[in-house]
Amino acid sequence: MNPLVVNRVMKQYGDKTAVNGLSFEVGAGEIYGLLGANGAGKTTTMRMVLGLIMPDGGEIRYNGKPYGEEQLRMLGYLPEERGMYPKVKLSEQIVYLAQLRGMSRKDAEANLRRWLDRFQVPEYYDKKVEELSKGNQQKIQFIAAVIHRPQIVILDEAFSGLDPVNVELLKTTVKELRDEGTSILFSTHRMEHVEELCRNITIMHKSNPVLQGPIREIKSRFPREKVVLSAEAPIQGLESIPGVQGVTRTEQGYLLQIARAETAQDILKHALAQGPIQKFELLEPTLNEIFIRTVGERHE
Amino acid sequence: MNSMWTVMSFTMRNKLRSKSFLITTIILAVLLVVGANVPYFIDKFTSGGSATKVGYITDEPGDLIKGLETYFGKQEKPQVQLVPIEAAGSAEADAAVLKQAIEDKTITGYLSFVTNDQAGFPDVTYHSKKMLDTDTSQALQAALQEVKTNQAVQDAKLTKEQLQKLFSPVKLNSVQISDSANGKTAEEQGTAIGLTYAIIILLFMAVMITGQLIATEITAEKSSRVMEIIVTSVSPLKQMFGKVLGTFIVGLVQLVVLVGATVVNLSLPHNADSFKNLGIRLDTIDPKMLIFAVVLYLLGYFLYAMLFAAIGSIVSRTEDLGQAVMPVTMLTLAGFYIAIFGLSHPDSPFIVACSYIPFFSPFILFLRIGLANPAWWEIALSVGILLVSVLVIGWLAAKIYRVGVLMYGKKPSFKEVFKAMKAYKV
Repeated sequence: MNPLVVNRVMKQYGDKTAVNGLSFEVGAGEIYGLLGANGAGKTTTMRMVLGLIMPDGGEIRYNGKPYGEEQLRMLGYLPEERGMYPKVKLSEQIVYLAQLRGMSRKDAEANLRRWLDRFQVPEYYDKKVEELSKGNQQKIQFIAAVIHRPQIVILDEAFSGLDPVNVELLKTTVKELRDEGTSILFSTHRMEHVEELCRNITIMHKSNPVLQGPIREIKSRFPREKVVLSAEAPIQGLESIPGVQGVTRTEQGYLLQIARAETAQDILKHALAQGPIQKFELLEPTLNEIFIRTVGERHE
Repeated sequence: MNSMWTVMSFTMRNKLRSKSFLITTIILAVLLVVGANVPYFIDKFTSGGSATKVGYITDEPGDLIKGLETYFGKQEKPQVQLVPIEAAGSAEADAAVLKQAIEDKTITGYLSFVTNDQAGFPDVTYHSKKMLDTDTSQALQAALQEVKTNQAVQDAKLTKEQLQKLFSPVKLNSVQISDSANGKTAEEQGTAIGLTYAIIILLFMAVMITGQLIATEITAEKSSRVMEIIVTSVSPLKQMFGKVLGTFIVGLVQLVVLVGATVVNLSLPHNADSFKNLGIRLDTIDPKMLIFAVVLYLLGYFLYAMLFAAIGSIVSRTEDLGQAVMPVTMLTLAGFYIAIFGLSHPDSPFIVACSYIPFFSPFILFLRIGLANPAWWEIALSVGILLVSVLVIGWLAAKIYRVGVLMYGKKPSFKEVFKAMKAYKV
C-alpha cells in the first residue's frame, strides 16, 4: 500500500473545475513530480492532499486511511508563498510549528539544532526571521516543513529563489529524505530538477492530467528529433539530406532538427564521408520540450 | 485540545513578552495611578491653598465689613481674607491705590460698594485681574448673602428659636426602591454610578483593545503567509479558539494589573477621605455588581473577539484591516455611548430595549443592574440571549475563519465568503 493514494479527485469552484479526475500514487521513498502551467490546478491538488479543502469527488488515502486528525501530523508542507513570523525568534516558531504537529518541545529543539548544523547555520537559533536573508529564510522554511519527520512531504516550488549552491544543498537533503523512505510530492517549473529527482510525474493542463507515468516511459513516447554533430572540418550539404528540417550552427558544431529517428543514420553517413567526427548524438527529448509541447500545443 | 493549548501558549508568550505590550501596560498603569490620586490632589490644592486676599477701603459701610469678617472668621479654612486699605480721598484715588495694591501683590482683588436704596443693601462689585475667579466670588456671594439675611433678621427682631428654625436646613433623604429589604442610600448610589461608569469604560477598552489585537494578529499571520503552514498543522477551529483564549488571558493579565494598580491606590488611606467627600465609598460596592461585571465581561469579550477573528481572517493585508473592522468598531462604540447616555436615564424604554440586543447588552445590562435594579427574569433573558449569540457567532466565525484564512487577494464580499463556504464544505 502506497503512503499517498489520490484517486480520481475532483474539485469545482462554482462552475469552474479546478481539478478534474486526477489520480496518482506516491510510494515510500519516492519523489513524485506534479507539473503544470500556472493555474493548472497544482495548488488546489496540494491543498486537497493537505486536507485544507475537501474534494468534491474521488478520495485521498494516507496509508490506506482517509483524512483525519492523525493524518495531519504525518504531513509536511513547504508552501510556494513562503512565510514565517518576522518578529519571533526562529527557534521559538519552528518549535511551535513542530509542537502543533505533535512533537514534544525537547525533541523539536534537538531536531532543530541538528538541522541548523546540517545547513551550517547553527547561529540562527536565536535570531529573528526578519534578520535573515531571503535565501536563508527559505532554508528555515524547509526545516519547518520537515522537522517533525513527516511521512509525506509536499514541496511547492522548493528551490525557487535560491542560489546554485543552496539549490544543491537542498536537493541533496531532499534526496536523503527520499532515501530514508519519505514520500515526497514535488512541484516546480524547473524541468531539470524534475528530471533529476522524480521517478514518476503528472503534467496537468487546465485542470486535467494530460500526461502521466514514469519519466523514462514518457520520454520514449516522444520521438527523438535532435542530433548534435561536431567534426574537425565544416560539413557541407547537411540541409540537403532528406528528412532534415533545420540546421543550426553552434560554437561546437551543428544542431539538426529531424522528422524521424532513421534520418540520424543518414546524417552520420553523410558527415563521415566528409571527414572524422568528434561527436555525434541522437538526443532524447528533454522534459522541458515535452512539457512545452504538451501544454503549449493545447494552448492553441 | 493539546494543539489548542499550544496555540494559546504561543500567543500568550509572544504577546506578554512583546515590548509594545509591556510599554502600553506600564503607561496605562501610570495614568490610572495618577488618575486614582487626582481627587486627593484636587482636595489638597483647593482646601490647602491660602485664603484669597481681598482689599476694601476703610470708610466703606462698617456693618457689612464686620459681618463679612465674622462670616469668614467662623470658617475652618477661610477662603477670603479681608485687607483694609486706607482711603485716599476721592473715588478715583481710591481705585488707583487699590490697583496699586494688586500690582504689589498685597491683595488679589478688591470690593467696591455702591449704595442701592431700593434693595436696602449696597451693590457690591468684586474687581480682580483673574478671569472667572468663581471660587472667590462664590465665597463672597455666600458671605454677603448671610450678612444681608442677618441684617434683615435683626430688623425683623426675631427670637433665637425662630432664628434657629429658619436656619436649620431641610433634610431630604433619597433612597432607591429595591426588591431587597434595603434600598441603596445616596452614598451607595453615588458609588454605583461611579463603579458602573468605570466598569463600562473598562469593558469597552478591554473589548476594543483585545479584539483589535486578535484581528491584527490573524491578518498579520495571513499576510506573512505563515498561516498556510499553521492551518495545515492544526485545524483552523482549534487555532482560532486557541488564539481567542490566549489573547483573552493576555487581556486579563493586563486588566488585572491595571485594576489592581487602581484599587490599591484608591484604598490608600489618604484617598479614602477625598472619596468620602465625593460621596463614593468603596466598601459600599455591591458584590452582585462585581459578579455581573465579570460575567458580562466574559460574554462581551468572546462575542466581540470572535467577530474580530472572523474579520481578521478574511482580510489579507493589514492595511485593509482598519476599514474591515469598522462595522464592529461602530457596534462597540454604539453600545458604549448608549450606556453612557443611559447613566442618567437607566429606566428609559430605549435602554431597556437595548439591554436585550446582544451586541449592546454587555454594556447596557450592566448599566441597568448597577443603576435600575431590573427583575431577575430580565437579567436572565438578556444573559441568555447574549449566551446564545456568543455560541452562534462563534460557530459562524469558525466557518468564516476556515474559509477566510485561505482567501488571498482583495477583500472578499460577503457573497464571495458565503460561496466559498459552500465550496469548501465547511
